[in-house]
Amino acid sequence: MKEFTVVGKSIPRRDALDKVLGTATYTTDVKLPGMLYAKVLRSPHAHAKVIKIDTSKAKALPGVKAVLCHLDIPKNLFCSSAAAYVTTPPVKGVVDQYIFESTARFIGDEIAAVAATSLAIAEKALALIEVEYEVLPAVFDPFEAMKPESPTLHTEPEKKEGFPEYPENNIVGNKIPPVIGMGDLEVGFKEADYIFENTYIVDAVKQAQLETHGAVADINSEGKLTIYSPSQSLHPTKRIVAEALGLPLSQVRVLNPPYSGGGFGGRIGCSAKSEVITAALAQKARRPVKLILSRQEDFIASDTRHETFATLKTGVKKDGTLTARFIKVIMNGGAYASWSQDAPGVLASTAMPVYRCPNSMFEGWTVYTNRTSAGAMRGFGNPQGMFCVESQMDEIAHALNMDPLEFRLKNISRPGDAVPVPFPLVTTGLRDCITQGAEKIGWSRRVEPDRQKSTKLRGMGMGVGSHVSCSHPFHVDYSTCQLILQQDGSILYSTGVPDIGTGTSTTLPQFVAEVLGVDISMVKIVFGDTQSTPFEVGSHASRTCYAAGKAAIAGAEKIKKEILEYAADYLKLPEDDLDIAKGMVYSLSNDNVKVSLGEIALQAHLKTKQFSCIGTVPPTNALPWEAHFAEVEVDTETGQVEIIQLVAAHDVGKAINPAIVEGQIEGALSMGIGFALTEQYQIDENGRQLYDTYHKYMMPTVMDMPPMETIIVEEHEPSGPFGVRGVGEAGLVPTAPAITNAIFNATGVRVNQIPVTPDRLLTALKNQKGISTVREDEEIYAE
Amino acid sequence: MEKKLLHFCLNGEEMEVQVDPSASLMDVIRDDLEMTGTKAGCNTGDCGACTVILDGEAVRSCIMPALHVMDRNVETIEGIGSPDNLHPVQEEFVESSAFQCGYCTPGMIMSAKALLDKNPEPTGEDVREAIAGNLCRCTGYKKIEEAFLSAAKKVNSKSS
Repeated sequence: MKEFTVVGKSIPRRDALDKVLGTATYTTDVKLPGMLYAKVLRSPHAHAKVIKIDTSKAKALPGVKAVLCHLDIPKNLFCSSAAAYVTTPPVKGVVDQYIFESTARFIGDEIAAVAATSLAIAEKALALIEVEYEVLPAVFDPFEAMKPESPTLHTEPEKKEGFPEYPENNIVGNKIPPVIGMGDLEVGFKEADYIFENTYIVDAVKQAQLETHGAVADINSEGKLTIYSPSQSLHPTKRIVAEALGLPLSQVRVLNPPYSGGGFGGRIGCSAKSEVITAALAQKARRPVKLILSRQEDFIASDTRHETFATLKTGVKKDGTLTARFIKVIMNGGAYASWSQDAPGVLASTAMPVYRCPNSMFEGWTVYTNRTSAGAMRGFGNPQGMFCVESQMDEIAHALNMDPLEFRLKNISRPGDAVPVPFPLVTTGLRDCITQGAEKIGWSRRVEPDRQKSTKLRGMGMGVGSHVSCSHPFHVDYSTCQLILQQDGSILYSTGVPDIGTGTSTTLPQFVAEVLGVDISMVKIVFGDTQSTPFEVGSHASRTCYAAGKAAIAGAEKIKKEILEYAADYLKLPEDDLDIAKGMVYSLSNDNVKVSLGEIALQAHLKTKQFSCIGTVPPTNALPWEAHFAEVEVDTETGQVEIIQLVAAHDVGKAINPAIVEGQIEGALSMGIGFALTEQYQIDENGRQLYDTYHKYMMPTVMDMPPMETIIVEEHEPSGPFGVRGVGEAGLVPTAPAITNAIFNATGVRVNQIPVTPDRLLTALKNQKGISTVREDEEIYAE
Repeated sequence: MEKKLLHFCLNGEEMEVQVDPSASLMDVIRDDLEMTGTKAGCNTGDCGACTVILDGEAVRSCIMPALHVMDRNVETIEGIGSPDNLHPVQEEFVESSAFQCGYCTPGMIMSAKALLDKNPEPTGEDVREAIAGNLCRCTGYKKIEEAFLSAAKKVNSKSS
């Protein structure tokens, strides 16, 4: 077996120098000649009609070059995330946004925008916009919102077109009706010796990436827009701007400048509408316009994760074999659809393949409410789903007096098992992840502490999960790259993928370098710009290494063949006697025959030929696997939970750049800790967000991080490039239940809602039984 | 508002710039001087992306009034290392990929440098405290801590 030259090696990242020297340019750094500064006027009301809006005083302020409100914009429906534009027929994508409307649907909703010669003038101008609101009743809870007497958020017929009328109010797009994943639920529950039914709540949380949302839109005299954006999906963002402004796609260019300060799902599409708003202002002012959201605006006016309410009903035999499972989920979608039609289905598709449960069913949907829109955030329903599934698995194991680890091993899916997703489960390294992770943390030490002896109790817990390696066939997802051999022997490699920090601009060239046989420095990547790259949906669904990697290999193989064909003729040797290594075409049988790629390229060029090709393959998908283990110490007097250690074992198929893979997992673990214990999106009775700054939003600092170990398992995935599976989101999937299951092991008390804040834990400890949820209305969960 | 003349030493160079009296040091660095290596993450002193070194102390430039640095010494990321001569902290970051999106990186490096300039033999606890005010959402901090500790060893072996 040939040894890899660059794949599997933690080579330094190509963006390293820029980032450590401070020369990396982000959207927040972009400055163009004649640039104007924008500010957005936001609704102070959770639900209100704009009865009257007068922008004349704002327009008259010296320095103000454009003011826009619902009276000034083209009335084109769009969706500010890529969701509506990657939805595959016959499902229709939900489009329910205009640039500005005469209805505000959450506190922070965009009412108008100003572009002026300075930020100070723009702020002054905002204050001069006169708005008369008619405050409407608001609804914040999805169960309330479904009631017929609740206010309906979107009444416009054009927004409803193509979607069913449901008896419930405020349903986003299509519900997923009770769908049989596999088998026959009735049969399954009959076979069960025990049936467990539990309800769970997962609070919404926020991406909170370090670079706030924003954009800079430039325009030329022909109306062509160039938009600098931190988007993680440049091509879809381009489409959204074109749709919103009613422009042909070719009139819009979207690019990262070239770096983006984090995404985590928050900008799969627009950065909180910034690209659309700046483009509209630039059209009006005929000058470049920059809009950068403040941190508070980022919190209140850009997509959160979905708050999720779930019931799990699971049947199990005495010996621990799962027989049936019914998952019902209702998600809180906030004011606009974004990814809300998709999230419940993703929860189902990522949770259900994990265990071999022959009879399973899922039902779920999302509901509109008057709070910040929920959209995509790392894991996209899977972290919520697996918190529920893994909490219940832990509960079942405890009831059956089985080791939770043995109970998992008994029930996890095996290669060849039928799974309720439209692609096969061919290989799985989950068993290895579980056994290796267990050994690392010292699972054999796990005991229930003597709870009378101390107020500091230690415990251990675990969680497992899967995810996806791209979004095919759930969404439009395919990858194309372009390769051109240049006359110095370097390869120009063009891909529509961004680098939002995940290291794609280093890892993807590793594929090309490996296949082609050149040094990594000879692969020149062009990325993150719609003008110079083929369509790519972007960096989401943990897809870039898997999907773009496959296209890179296809392209590199193709251009290599073309080069060797030419070289065979040039060297007068049979093609199968030639190969490429270290940038040289060489003869396998004659050591003396060597010619550089640069020489081949030049010779071909002199004979009017350049080597170029397109790399693309039909899309596939694959399941990644992960197991997390947590050891905690609970202070039963304060409700504080300290994490003693975390172990994360991941089957990534193949780690192309191990340091980058570890970094992705370690970062996800820190998000998982916050998700489990401290981060939450909450509103007051008027709908105003409570934790809307970094000061109030409790995301982990370095002081909150425990010792962490990452274990990389490489169970080759045949459909993946060099065996790769997705990993970007998997690191956040079982972390929370590993921690909360550890809390149960320590205290004997289970909190079925995350985050397990000190007050929630103290309430549970006081009651000396778990709190199921903080809701009482059981009838909502009836089948 | 009438501008005031600010003079201070920036990365070893004497600077004179007319500033808005209400401007923060970060605004002056990023907007007036167009040095965008110092990052804007929150504007409320919570995330540390804007960290610079003032007379040897790591400070949040976004909540530091610009006029407070009159006649004082300020170091920003632009003054740390160069492509051919990286500071040991930068070297370690490059070698071990101790960054991802990179937005927190300049602030992290400034906090680390301030620590190492004062305390060339920091413990793990010292390093954690030095970057406790630098938020990172991408890395989970582990590789950053390890890079700083390795850099400290490098700095020590260079000077010894």
